[in-house]
Amino acid sequence: MESAALADLGELLGDRLQTSLETRTCYSFDATRKKFLPDAVAFPVDAEEVQRIVQLANRHRFPVVPRGAGSGFSGGSLPVRGGVVLSTERMDRILAIDGENLYAVVEPGVVTETLKEEVRKIGLFYPPDPASLKFSTLGGNIAECAGGMCAVKYGVTRDYVLALEAVLGTGELVRTGVATMKGVVGYDLTRMLVGSEGTLGVITRATLRLVPHPESFTTLLALFSGNRQAAEAVNAIVAARVTPSAMELMDRTAIDCVRSMIPVELPEGTRSALLIEVDGAEAAVGREADLLAEACRSRGALEVRRASDERGRDELWKLRRSISPALRRVAPVKMNEDIVVPRSRLADMFDFLSGLAARKKVTIVNFGHAGDGNIHVNIMIPGTDADEYRRAEEAVEEVFRAAVEMGGTISGEHGVGIVKAPFMEMEVGPMGVSVMKRLKECFDPNGILNPGKIFPEESAVRR
Amino acid sequence: MKDDELREMAGLCVKCGTCRTVCTLYPQRKAEVAVARGKVAIIEGALSGENTDMESVQEALSDCLLCGRCERACPNQVLFEEIVMKGRADLAEEVGIPAWKRILFGKVMPSDPAMRVLRKAGAAAERVLLKKVPTGSGLHYRFPEGFGGGGRTVPRLPAKGFIESLGKDEAVSGDVMLFVGCVFDHLYPGVGRAAYETMTASGSPVAVFRDAACCGLPAMVSGDRRSAMENVESNLRRLREAAPREIVFPCGSCLLMFKRNVLSLVKEGSPLRGDAVFVAERSTDYASFLLSSGVLDRLPDPPAGERAGEIGYHDPCHLSGTLGKGPQAREVLSRTVGSAFAEMAGADLCCGYGGTFNVRDYPTSARIGENKVSAAARGGTKVISTACSGCVLQMRDMAARTDPSIRVVHIAELVRQALSGAGKSSPER
Repeated sequence: MESAALADLGELLGDRLQTSLETRTCYSFDATRKKFLPDAVAFPVDAEEVQRIVQLANRHRFPVVPRGAGSGFSGGSLPVRGGVVLSTERMDRILAIDGENLYAVVEPGVVTETLKEEVRKIGLFYPPDPASLKFSTLGGNIAECAGGMCAVKYGVTRDYVLALEAVLGTGELVRTGVATMKGVVGYDLTRMLVGSEGTLGVITRATLRLVPHPESFTTLLALFSGNRQAAEAVNAIVAARVTPSAMELMDRTAIDCVRSMIPVELPEGTRSALLIEVDGAEAAVGREADLLAEACRSRGALEVRRASDERGRDELWKLRRSISPALRRVAPVKMNEDIVVPRSRLADMFDFLSGLAARKKVTIVNFGHAGDGNIHVNIMIPGTDADEYRRAEEAVEEVFRAAVEMGGTISGEHGVGIVKAPFMEMEVGPMGVSVMKRLKECFDPNGILNPGKIFPEESAVRR
Repeated sequence: MKDDELREMAGLCVKCGTCRTVCTLYPQRKAEVAVARGKVAIIEGALSGENTDMESVQEALSDCLLCGRCERACPNQVLFEEIVMKGRADLAEEVGIPAWKRILFGKVMPSDPAMRVLRKAGAAAERVLLKKVPTGSGLHYRFPEGFGGGGRTVPRLPAKGFIESLGKDEAVSGDVMLFVGCVFDHLYPGVGRAAYETMTASGSPVAVFRDAACCGLPAMVSGDRRSAMENVESNLRRLREAAPREIVFPCGSCLLMFKRNVLSLVKEGSPLRGDAVFVAERSTDYASFLLSSGVLDRLPDPPAGERAGEIGYHDPCHLSGTLGKGPQAREVLSRTVGSAFAEMAGADLCCGYGGTFNVRDYPTSARIGENKVSAAARGGTKVISTACSGCVLQMRDMAARTDPSIRVVHIAELVRQALSGAGKSSPER
């Protein structure tokens, strides 16, 4: 970056522009373990400062990369072409919680859990629950359209974004949407920005929909002798017309992995497990839990455990929560994919994955949000062997192809970023890519915002 | 910077971001440099040769309280506290540390006579130079603005330290040994005295480790490995000679030094290793000793309903967090003061002291500490009890700054008060 640009930024931001190598190093990474040094890190405090930064970027032509907590899995916040990382950490106020009209207005740097806790105090619920909710920010959640476990019942981040304020690539400020449930005036620019990974605009304010907090919860852990039975139980539950608030599936690879690290008591022959949760009014929850247990038993569940109190539920969740730490102990490096298939194809996908693991001689650990067909496919890379890495890469490509062929997607909730850019066209086709590019041109004609992301030929690095 | 062991330890961090949720410093800095994964990235940059400005790296690594909350929250069990200390030590060897620290850690703290001289000089100086501030925990002196970090208060330094006040034949033998620590010997001898007297209430004699050197933690966290080793060697040698059955620490940080840190300082294969393991195995916290020694059985029944919920317990990061001794202290409190003890708001939040951090950046340390003390006060706590010297120092200063009526005490002071049966006399100041 030219020194004139840094000087202008410094004049605008004072000590909220940092150029020390130590600070730049701290903003060079996210959860992908990839690293790209930015030229500077900016900590704006309001929309006007964000505008001025982007205006300077247009004048001096440097990239601006918005970043929330830097906890993404697709490289969305990595400054792959250098430039300025725009951190939203100092824009972290909850501006309003409207208990009558059921919405909250937040700045982008508010941590997701902070909002959840605040609205909980008045009996309200902000449902999206990405695994990173304790540290990831709402701005990042919106930009990546984060999902989570409760998507099966409550949907994902986009289903809770009513209105946005954002700074476009031109430096202009746009307000989209309205704070009401209904609103059909013109194009849905709000949805356009949700999941745009910081390539169309920097979100500076969001109006988020809230719902009443559920009164009670019941958790069930159903254990099966195989994935097919568990996958069929998922379909049986849907057929019983019950919508759980979470339905997590762990396959044999995940269960074995946890068991090798942590003692868990499971019946002989357990090869698959479903963790199911229902929430709502107490009477309804009890009845629904009965139906769920029945559906699992009808598909040959070896055992169904059930708990409604916090401690008991916590115990049931232990198996699911132990997967990620256990995985890291198996192999520190993994390729973590988040494909989705239609629920009815879950069993086919699991069969495909076990065949693929054998064929490519790689360890694949699968678990995920079975209720919405989202499977986390973890291809483990225990060593530094180049051949092992190549086989893992080939396996990933096959997984993506299979997901698309079954009518699903290559990314349910992590986003494209840099890691999935090379496979983008596989799913959306050349025409899809072309329309997206024309939209990008309109929002950000000089290619200032988060360059090198999403589009295949632009991706600076292959995974 | 070269350190393969450090590279390996740092390599386990996957930068997931969990450390952001628990970092004591992050809410103050609101920047990634404050948190563990940021510091790991900086260390990786220094190890790879990308960053060659070791003084800046040293500066970044010193901005940490070493509260260890990140380490305990980390899903990958990355040893961040150890990583930061190791990084500091490597850098201290490469670029050095300030002279005043070298002299303090290397010359003064290992020597009891030097500590006495320092205390006496300080006592004379504060009476002449500083302004008096009466507080619930005794008289403090306030630094003028612009000195010692804006409004800092320090305790009135006593004429005699605890060990100095012992009779020649007092507390010389017994198979239980009390390691009183610099602060409870020289700054708050009343705490040292309370710990000693309550421990002897079991009936069996307690020996006080008299010519102890500093535990070495201040030197170690500053990266001054050599001074830390000097302190540790001297202590280990004498403790091994004395061969006590149990070594009891009223201060959680001193205990951490003897229970865990010596084992990373004195590596396997070192001739001192046997002594280090011997001492580590026998080191225990004050509360656990009271529980196992039967002292608490001698307590009168706590007065029912009196001053209900007024006494809280502050969890020292090292003692409750790293060493997991929170429940023991609470049991001691319940049995000592009954329903006067209640959980206080934010009990497990760091007090912001961080040893040398408090010297390095007093305004930030004070903001964290003031938040801590005022949250407790808002929740109705009137007496904050704890079991670590740094926490007592910090919170007495914070109480003097925010609400001088809040008393900050060591749990030993409450136990002594209960044992004396009076329940009215105020604890030693």
